[in-house]
Amino acid sequence: MASTYSSSASILVVDDDRDSAVIVRDLLEAHGYAVYVAHDGDDALTMFDEIRPALVLLDVMMPGRSGWEVCHAMKQHPTHGRSVRVVMLTALSAWNDKQAAIQTGADDYVTKPVDLPGLLACVKRNLALVGPPV
Amino acid sequence: MTPSIILTDSRDPDLASVAARVPGGRAEVRPSAELAAAVGELHGVMAVVVTSPDPEVVRAVVERGRLYRVPVIVACESEPASRLAADLHADEWYVLPASVDEIDRRLRTARFRVRAAEVAEANRLERVGFESLLFDTTTRLPTLPVMIERTRALFKERGELVIFYLDFIRFAKIEEIYGWEKLDDVLGTTAEAVRDFIAREDLGDTRMMLGFTHDDDFIFFYIPERDRRGTTEHEITELVRRLRRFVGMRLEEEHGEDVAALFDIFVGSAHVYHDHKVRLERLIYRGVREAAHTARSIEQRQRARKVTDLRRLLHDRSLYVEYHPIFSAESGRIFGYEALARGVARTLRSPEVMFEVAADADLLWELSRLCRARAVEGAAEKLGEGQLLFLNADPHDFTDPTFGNFESIDPHRVVIEITERTAITDYPAFRGRLNALRERGFRFAVDDAGSGYAGLGSIANLEPDFIKLDISLIKSIETNFIKQNLVETMVGFAREQGAMVIAEGIESAAELDTVKRLGVPLVQGFFLQPPAGQRGSEQAKNGDRAAARAAARRIRQAGTLRRRK
Repeated sequence: MASTYSSSASILVVDDDRDSAVIVRDLLEAHGYAVYVAHDGDDALTMFDEIRPALVLLDVMMPGRSGWEVCHAMKQHPTHGRSVRVVMLTALSAWNDKQAAIQTGADDYVTKPVDLPGLLACVKRNLALVGPPV
Repeated sequence: MTPSIILTDSRDPDLASVAARVPGGRAEVRPSAELAAAVGELHGVMAVVVTSPDPEVVRAVVERGRLYRVPVIVACESEPASRLAADLHADEWYVLPASVDEIDRRLRTARFRVRAAEVAEANRLERVGFESLLFDTTTRLPTLPVMIERTRALFKERGELVIFYLDFIRFAKIEEIYGWEKLDDVLGTTAEAVRDFIAREDLGDTRMMLGFTHDDDFIFFYIPERDRRGTTEHEITELVRRLRRFVGMRLEEEHGEDVAALFDIFVGSAHVYHDHKVRLERLIYRGVREAAHTARSIEQRQRARKVTDLRRLLHDRSLYVEYHPIFSAESGRIFGYEALARGVARTLRSPEVMFEVAADADLLWELSRLCRARAVEGAAEKLGEGQLLFLNADPHDFTDPTFGNFESIDPHRVVIEITERTAITDYPAFRGRLNALRERGFRFAVDDAGSGYAGLGSIANLEPDFIKLDISLIKSIETNFIKQNLVETMVGFAREQGAMVIAEGIESAAELDTVKRLGVPLVQGFFLQPPAGQRGSEQAKNGDRAAARAAARRIRQAGTLRRRK
């Protein structure tokens, strides 16, 4: 297979705020990623199971299941949990919050409000650690 | 009583007006710091409105609110503050100033949300409950109900079933030391090993099946061959012995001696005979209970035997010390050695096990004294010019009046490691003892830093000279950017405090590379050099020197290959 992986890596964006989800989707699509969007935790978990994204951008603040809970569930996924990269979008940055984030299995975080170049850099450095899609 | 109180730290009279819309409603004002405690104590609270901008206050109130199912609303001074409210899982928030109507609307939404969340949670639990009824997610093993269904027919036909209960002890310790990812790995290996064992054993027409109890124990069904009279006790003992050895070896291969030595497997068994008058499930559940009970009583007996072993160890001083080098990340030179005591007897090889037995038998001081004495004895030969000796101590050791009385070593060359894991109960007294030792020249390290939720403040309180990062922060740090951020924070914090950070548990080039790049000045781990005992012969000493040189090379090269690429 041709090495088109870096431009076709799939990303699942989970944010209940539709406007910011669209901004992030447009940004990532403009950089050649295949982007899927979910608006709540249950949707996110269903889509996760179907599309097996290489990376998930997960908002902590969502009605129903919180982002922490969704992250934990994704990382527990029997086949895909080990390989997926999960990046949390959060306003929290204290020591304890980061420790809690590690406990849920998160790989990285971006603080809100999101700075778009920073987000893109974060996506790139995380995808650089993922092997090509199977 | 219908909840009618709005609990708040705000003097806003509008809150009383909103409360008054409910019959008998009123606002109850408490200081911000006391708000969380009041959530559980005060009866009839319909909502909490918190105005404090302090995230810790909001966090505490939200946590209590969750616990007592009371909606929590944050009144925010600004728009960015509302973001924080959301991240902390507040049920609702509004930005000040707000009208009575708006506050009322937020309150209603929050109450609705809490109810909706309760329903959703109940649904989720039901679903998760159903899924996990069938298979365990970590080991992918079937659970007991599935096992029963799958063996029902065969058990009826053959009339006999032997149930083994594999009781693994100290699995929790693995989680405590290495983190949950490691325990998941170990459970996975264990499940695989038991499966391989079953596949490998030539058991003719025998059927076996393995299941998981969801905690950390395994259940194992054994249905003997068709034409047999029954399974003898001797056959069971033999099978158990082989199983224990097989699993133990596999764990040592995959996870090293330290992990393998940490825990024990106790196997209890029970015979169940088919009886058409008794419900099959009940027969099996009783059998499982009986097997578990047997496993536990074997464990009890073993425990008693270990205490005897420990007494003998103390009497014979049959304890050896291994020295694990700590290297300078800059020069690759050995900076010092951490002394690790191990029992000579196989049952007491792991220091964790040794100290657990000592705590049970009230022999902690005795064991600690022996460990320290042995460590200092060997250090005379081991320590080179300017190198330091790192000794592990527990807060309880500090109450020992003989602590710190070493004749053969200068206190200035000793660093005492205090673990962050053990709770220090009497802080002022502890600090007093610490300072007395400091005055005599001893230095201190906080061990396992970052393992608890104590945060940086409690580390600063001890004014350590060294901060040893918890292994869980180092494991796979090259791929986890949050861990990298935490380590970077710790390095900066240590610099401000005049302390040095040590990264222990380095097991790969990538981990070494990463901690070096993050500015960690001292490194330790199996990847660099494993711990080694005192060396008698010149040949062995040469071996150690060669290993240290190889480690120094690895440290100096760390990062350069990547950069060259």
